[in-house]
Amino acid sequence: MKMTRETPMGTEFIGKKKRLSEARVLAFSGGRFNASAWPGKNIHTDLEFAKSYGLPTRSASATQYMAYLVELMIDLFGEGWLNHGKMNLKFIAIVDVDDELVSKAVITSKEVKDSKVSFTLSVWCDNQQGDKVAIGTATGLI
Amino acid sequence: MAQSSKQEPFEPFEFHVTPEFNEQYLFAAEDYHPRYLATDSGPPLVHPGLLLNQSNVTRSPSFSLRGWMAGIHAAEEVEFINPARVGKRFRVTWKVLEEYEKRGRHYTVIEALVVEEDGLEILRRRTHGLLVKRGEGG
Repeated sequence: MKMTRETPMGTEFIGKKKRLSEARVLAFSGGRFNASAWPGKNIHTDLEFAKSYGLPTRSASATQYMAYLVELMIDLFGEGWLNHGKMNLKFIAIVDVDDELVSKAVITSKEVKDSKVSFTLSVWCDNQQGDKVAIGTATGLI
Repeated sequence: MAQSSKQEPFEPFEFHVTPEFNEQYLFAAEDYHPRYLATDSGPPLVHPGLLLNQSNVTRSPSFSLRGWMAGIHAAEEVEFINPARVGKRFRVTWKVLEEYEKRGRHYTVIEALVVEEDGLEILRRRTHGLLVKRGEGG
């Protein structure tokens, strides 16, 4: 799925489907496995804790599915994306435990800069209902 | 959009990425790519999810909602500067860039910078948080 300098505008990419199981949410947001009080209680790991902060439900950390989009960008641009990649996102819906998300991207512009080609992609995550939960843009160089 | 100049510092946070801690995030992110387990050119890479999660401002030892009920992660701008390597220690610093009100809701913009123990900058992110009062959740 790696992009090249010749990959045309409008090309779409679909990342791996990810399920935010209870175990994976706790692993991401519950602190270190070897902590004495693992998993730590917070708005991502504990429903009562979330409600005590006035939230209707607990939700997965947005950084967890940001990581899915970063994985897609590294698949497309290679590890070099970690030297220059940028991403701007808005989080527009709650992501619950056991939701399934898929990262997607489409090339919206490409421009030659010095000896590199700079790509801009529209990026988003869909849940199992096909609703977007995160939307934004990402840039990378090849 | 009204802006305020309220600036409160957050104490830096330091963390050490062991292979076990990195693998915890590989499991969480369902991403067991070999680059995070072993490489020919040095220690494995730290999973980006770990770096993002550990640089949330809630990690600051002095983090406080300052009277708000909750802070909801509304938007994010992130720039990756250098790959991070397992075995290193990292330091996160934060600064409040902006606080503003938009359509009756209060937002804060906080910049985080993650730097490796040798001084190498790893990533910079700007998190836009929606501050929620009791009864506003959802």
